[in-house]
Amino acid sequence: MSDENLLLKVEHMYKSFGITKALQDVSFGLRRGQVLGLIGENGSGKSTVTSIIAALQPADSGEMFLEGKPYAPKNSVEAQEHGIAMILQEKGTFDLLTVAKNIFVGKEERFVRHGFLDGKAMVREAQKALDTIGADDIRAEKPLASLNFEERKLVEVARAMYNDPTILVVDETTTALSRNGRDILYKIMEKMKSEGKSVIFISHDLDEIMEVCDTVTILRDGIYIDTIEKKDYEPALLRRLMVGREVSDHYYRTDMESCKNPEVVLRMDHVSCKDVKDVSFELHKGEILGFGGLGDCGMHILGNVAFGLTDPDLGKVTAGDGTVIKNSQVAMSKKIAYISKNRDQETLMVSCSIKDNVCLASYDKIKKGPFVFKKDENQFIKESSEGLEIKMRDTDQYVMELSGGNKQKVALAKWLGFGADIFILDCPTRGIDIGVKSNIYQLMIRLREEGKSIIMISEELAEVIGMSDRVIILKEGKISGEFTREQQLTELMLIDYMV
Amino acid sequence: MAKTDTKQNKISFQNIFPFLGLALILVLFTILTQGKLFSRAALKSTLNDGLYILMGTAGFTFLCAEGEMDFSIGYNMGVSCAVCCLVANAVNIYVAVPAAILTGIVIGLVNGLIVTKTHIMSMIATMGMMFILQGLVLVLLNGSVLQAPLTMLKMYTDPLKIFLLIATVVLGYLLLEKTKFGRVAKAVGACPEAVRQTGINSDRIKLITYIIVGGICGILGFVSLARTGSATNSTGGTLMFNALCATLMGAVPLTGGPTTKFRGAVLGTLTISFLVTGMTLLRISATNQQLIKGLIFLVAVGVSFDRKNMKVIK
Repeated sequence: MSDENLLLKVEHMYKSFGITKALQDVSFGLRRGQVLGLIGENGSGKSTVTSIIAALQPADSGEMFLEGKPYAPKNSVEAQEHGIAMILQEKGTFDLLTVAKNIFVGKEERFVRHGFLDGKAMVREAQKALDTIGADDIRAEKPLASLNFEERKLVEVARAMYNDPTILVVDETTTALSRNGRDILYKIMEKMKSEGKSVIFISHDLDEIMEVCDTVTILRDGIYIDTIEKKDYEPALLRRLMVGREVSDHYYRTDMESCKNPEVVLRMDHVSCKDVKDVSFELHKGEILGFGGLGDCGMHILGNVAFGLTDPDLGKVTAGDGTVIKNSQVAMSKKIAYISKNRDQETLMVSCSIKDNVCLASYDKIKKGPFVFKKDENQFIKESSEGLEIKMRDTDQYVMELSGGNKQKVALAKWLGFGADIFILDCPTRGIDIGVKSNIYQLMIRLREEGKSIIMISEELAEVIGMSDRVIILKEGKISGEFTREQQLTELMLIDYMV
Repeated sequence: MAKTDTKQNKISFQNIFPFLGLALILVLFTILTQGKLFSRAALKSTLNDGLYILMGTAGFTFLCAEGEMDFSIGYNMGVSCAVCCLVANAVNIYVAVPAAILTGIVIGLVNGLIVTKTHIMSMIATMGMMFILQGLVLVLLNGSVLQAPLTMLKMYTDPLKIFLLIATVVLGYLLLEKTKFGRVAKAVGACPEAVRQTGINSDRIKLITYIIVGGICGILGFVSLARTGSATNSTGGTLMFNALCATLMGAVPLTGGPTTKFRGAVLGTLTISFLVTGMTLLRISATNQQLIKGLIFLVAVGVSFDRKNMKVIK
């Protein structure tokens, strides 16, 4: 690695949050025209180090060099002036503004003519920015609220790219994107590479990392572990370096047989709702039914409908005994559980304790007479979270302090404790590291063996294929294909039905 | 992590803030009144005023836990008091008591229905209700003062006061901290969507709370009539503001959620009750009292809120 080729150098960086050491003596370099993957489990310091590079927070100590010169930005504006742009993991857009205003937020003065904002010029520029990245189907004059989650993310990409950055940081962005959105992002990265610019790419998806990154730097518990070049990539090796121990390659189901139980526990009958058009299916006892498709294919709303949260415009959802699931109370009386894709906003109360969250669905079970006692709650949590190994200080710890994987375990514990028989899991492993992912798969296998039924909705085809007895692919709101486990599915086979 | 630390500091500050406020008021007014704050007469007056504030604040605490608000409690009490007086004169004083409570409950129910069915923000909805009730009192009283039968005054006894006081504290504490209802109420304030996705009908919880608060206003309407013997257009006028101040001094978060503690309602009530007595002992006029309470209100809001988590304090 010759020095003149080095665009950014991070040396001996330390950062602590209270007693937690987020970064300890982390050093690495970024070459010109390189896509550097940054991997590690939750809490390994990936986001911390990149947010320091983008000057969203200061380091405790350590130095950075940009093109050989010391680089110590005071704030994110200064970082932008140095050509560093970041696309954040969290949503960073404003719903009430138009797309154009979102792209130029904080830079409005560029469009001021004679004291007035030239809205048309702004929209024109914004559209140009969107067209450049290949997101030309997003109209700049539309309000952001009319866009779906993926389109909003692309607006953020356009915003980051508008300044023509020399270093782009992509933090867990692709989990929110469908294949189409990912392709847009990959194209941008390719282009930057060819122009001698660089990308730092953070993702939990190891396959994706290995595909798009030239080099991978591994962090674990805030410590630099190793840097691996593309030619030396090996999934097992990377996983071992991330987790610090051997992780088996086969964390999906190993059997190749689909569920043969004829008993139907949930039935969807010609349901139409928003993007969904005339979808019918049956879920059997002891079956894992996987739903796959693009982000906007309508599969996420299906989970909502099945749990009675959204009324279908046409058709109905019924439990095994014919009861119509007309709201979530009925759904729960039929022992159905639902974990949303937007776990932190919709499934968990992040400002509450683990205890409050786990017990919420089951107070009727926990209470003695009219009263709920702490002792019984703690006992309940102990029983509910058995085998989940939630990493926590105690049950009074706030959920917002937990990592993504532990949050998901809390959500699962809530429904396990409730005693659900049917689990509707929307993106159950989204934003979760490998260690916890494998825990969740093992749990799903256990539940299946116990005769519980699972609907798994996921944008990750690998897990849909790896876990499901039966796979249903949705395309533009309609069922475009149905497959059983015995068919030895591959991702390529299914993608044809998705797009 | 840093966020966690400040969070915990914040919470511990939230925990001690009510104690600090109470201690400050007690020390300040003990000095200013040269100890008269704890004289028999002053304590009795504190108990009399404190009963209203306590019951109002207890209701507010449940509403706040859910992220709701009711600005109409004062005039709900006024209307209940007027109805109580009218019934006492027309029928008898024993029918008047349930009539007052029923009136309060009906008004609470209407508030609850407006908030849950029309989805008008509770602050706006109940402010509208406040104006309506303010007018209704005038209509009921024909614009003047209405006297209750003298026998009504005999109902205002120490055992009644003590009973209401203890019942409010015990029931309030148990309901908020030790039952499913209380847990769920806090959850509604913390994240309504998560509650909905757990198959809990949060509208029902809110409706019940508005009914309880209405019932409290009804009881207070009766208590006020038994205490003063008359219903006027200013009956209940100070209740809402006193209860709001007490809620804030008790560090009950107006935005709701798990940090709501019933203890806060009790501590806040003590603080405001002693403040009112202390100011009266110092012969501060009612208008100036209002001014001071207004200042305390702003200080309490400013000091007790976790401003990092919100852009505007609602």
